[in-house]
Amino acid sequence: MTMEPIQTLNGDFGFTGNDRRFAFSRQASFQQPRTPISTDSTDLGLRKPFLSRTDSSIDIPPPGPHHHYWSGHDDKPSGSLERSNFSSFVLSVFRNIRSGHRYMKRLFFMISLNVAYSTVELLIGLFTGRVGLVSDAVHLTFGCGLLTFSLFVMGASRKKPDGDYTYGYKRLEVLSAFTNALFLLFMSFSLAVEALHAFIQDESEHKHYLNVSAVTNLFVNLIGVWFFRNYARINLAYRNAEDMNCHSVFLHVLTDSIRSAGLILASWLLSIGVENAEVLCLGLVSVAVFTLVLPLFRATGGILLQMAPPSIPTTAFSKCLRQISAREDILEVSQARFWELVPGHVVGSLSIQVKKGVDDRPILEFVHRLYHDFGVQDLTVQIDHAS
Amino acid sequence: MHPLFALMDAHSSHHGHIIEISGDLPDAGRKICGEAPCGFSDAGSISLDSKERSTSMRKLLVAVILCVIFMTVELVGGIKANSLAILTDAAHLLSDVAAFAISLFSLWAAGWEATPRQSYGFYRIEILGALVSIQLIWLLTGIIVYQAIDRLITGSQEVDGFLMFIVAAFGLVVNIIMAVLLGHDHGHGHGHDHGHGHHGHSHGLTVSTHDLTKDEHHHHTHEHGHDTHHHNENHSKDAHHHSHEGHIHHHGQEGVTEPLLGESKDKSKKKRNINVQGAYLHVLGDSIQSVGVMIGGAVIWYKPEWKIVDLICTLFFSLIVLGTTINMLRNILEVLMESTPREIDATQLERGILEMEEVVAVHELHIWAITVGKVLLACHVKINRDADADMVLDKVVDYIRRVYNISHVTIQIER
Repeated sequence: MTMEPIQTLNGDFGFTGNDRRFAFSRQASFQQPRTPISTDSTDLGLRKPFLSRTDSSIDIPPPGPHHHYWSGHDDKPSGSLERSNFSSFVLSVFRNIRSGHRYMKRLFFMISLNVAYSTVELLIGLFTGRVGLVSDAVHLTFGCGLLTFSLFVMGASRKKPDGDYTYGYKRLEVLSAFTNALFLLFMSFSLAVEALHAFIQDESEHKHYLNVSAVTNLFVNLIGVWFFRNYARINLAYRNAEDMNCHSVFLHVLTDSIRSAGLILASWLLSIGVENAEVLCLGLVSVAVFTLVLPLFRATGGILLQMAPPSIPTTAFSKCLRQISAREDILEVSQARFWELVPGHVVGSLSIQVKKGVDDRPILEFVHRLYHDFGVQDLTVQIDHAS
Repeated sequence: MHPLFALMDAHSSHHGHIIEISGDLPDAGRKICGEAPCGFSDAGSISLDSKERSTSMRKLLVAVILCVIFMTVELVGGIKANSLAILTDAAHLLSDVAAFAISLFSLWAAGWEATPRQSYGFYRIEILGALVSIQLIWLLTGIIVYQAIDRLITGSQEVDGFLMFIVAAFGLVVNIIMAVLLGHDHGHGHGHDHGHGHHGHSHGLTVSTHDLTKDEHHHHTHEHGHDTHHHNENHSKDAHHHSHEGHIHHHGQEGVTEPLLGESKDKSKKKRNINVQGAYLHVLGDSIQSVGVMIGGAVIWYKPEWKIVDLICTLFFSLIVLGTTINMLRNILEVLMESTPREIDATQLERGILEMEEVVAVHELHIWAITVGKVLLACHVKINRDADADMVLDKVVDYIRRVYNISHVTIQIER
């Protein structure tokens, strides 16, 4: 199994490759003696302020090469508010999947496995009249649906920005991670309800035939855990959009396997006569799933809420503001707002009031450079001249 | 949309109750919000928002209380009659309560003050809450479909068509009451706005009052006949715009506001708060499901051997319920993806800016909404080397504000 290259470290604030919160830190510690220079130099290329004294700065240089900006000229001359056709969108996404990166292929394999398994389970359940199997198959189908959505998003998020989605489609990954996390929270809640149900109900109704399906389910999910083992952390430091999506997929398969393991354990404990085994196990699983998923939920929720980037401390922002207002020709800085489009891509805007007659170009360069060092790629600065 | 300044209190207008002044600078207030934490909106729109929010919250609270009452009735009745169907419906009402609770929380949280970590305020919570609410609807629909399949498989003979019918009918009546309650949008909320004389805040028309000296400064700095203080009439954005001279500021605000309030009332009536809309959709979905169950129950009551009708009805009506959520889901997705709001044509806006003289190019134009109805814009405008940056800035900001009704605008002028 080849090692994953370290992805571009945008907005890296003192996280080294050894930081255990990164998805690839284990590989990083292997790789560092071999490829420390290559990865670092590309990062330096992006992070070095590209306005040095020798530059004749006629223009404010556009931000990094990895952004593609939409301009009205690129659009079709229709000029209407027509959104792109949904079916053509879906087709293009499937084309992307075939040429996708390794996690997409793994996810696709996992989903097919899950679909096959749940179909078999459904058919068996229907023919033998075992309701438990049917319910398990339905539950699995829900999960599959979500994973398919994640896969779809992995393909769709690579689309270039267009007139309607000026920031591109990367947000979809955050959305998919949020939906996954939400579903897992729902699942933890429903497991708690099941535990309550088992507490009230007579334990002899425990469906022991479900053990076979639980074992198979566990096996299938452990394959998924192995595939996504790079994301095996609870508090992951997300560096780009795909991180969130893949982390959510990992948590999904992990919680599914925990659930199956819990059911198997409960069944075994019941068979050796432990009282209230099902209640205990289900309750434990419910609590475990909740604690596992909550950090992801909060992180994705924070991005969707336009929260200030968590990777940049508030003190850094205030320091920037102080540095800007400390300049003698700047009277006031206001309305400084920053948010993250996806982890690693920070967008911001601020308003500066300057004395009358001051040349705004050096100020613009100064401000852009200052914030660029913090990883804010897209910055819009409005300069007002006092009268 | 509300521009950055509003009239707080008509009586004390001659005192310093003006929020938009930043420092001591005369014409700064128009472009820069001078409030210390500077939340996303000014006090004027905050009070309008909170009014709208409190009416919505009141509606939802009444709906929740009603729901809880009905749920306890069904719970007691179900336990007494030992009927699973009634208990299931009670559980369904519990899910309604959960959805309303989510909407209520979102509404309440959206009014929180902006913090340094949440520089745009908490308006997005509305959207996230609505998303969670819709996910809940989808989840419940899935559970209902599963239960229908379950009923079919277990071949339960206890499917009593008559009971199904009665329970569903009761549920339908409850849902209709709540739908009427939530969708009921007469001018109750808005009646408060202009009725009270002491509250000089007119939400359609907002006027700034500076000291007269500041007005004079204003006029001296701008040679072109453009208006400096903008009256934001709350009707369609590409309609006519008035330009009044500075002297109009201190004269009868009441006189000027009255005829325009009618239009603003109209506009606010159409726009229902997204959380109330989400709750409304939930209730609507429940009513549709109840109708389906009623039909299924009636058929089974009439011909008990056609049990598959139950499943078919459930599937069909579940699809309808999912269909009703599609529109709102699309709106939510568009906001969360930071896409250009549907009502704004970005290409036309860009063309309009390019048409101005002195403007060479426009790039990095981003228009996005923090929540439905609150739009922001940021772009970089490249101008001729020797043009007057301030003048161009004024023109662009004015154009965007006037024609597209976007007031939170950040323009970077480059040469």
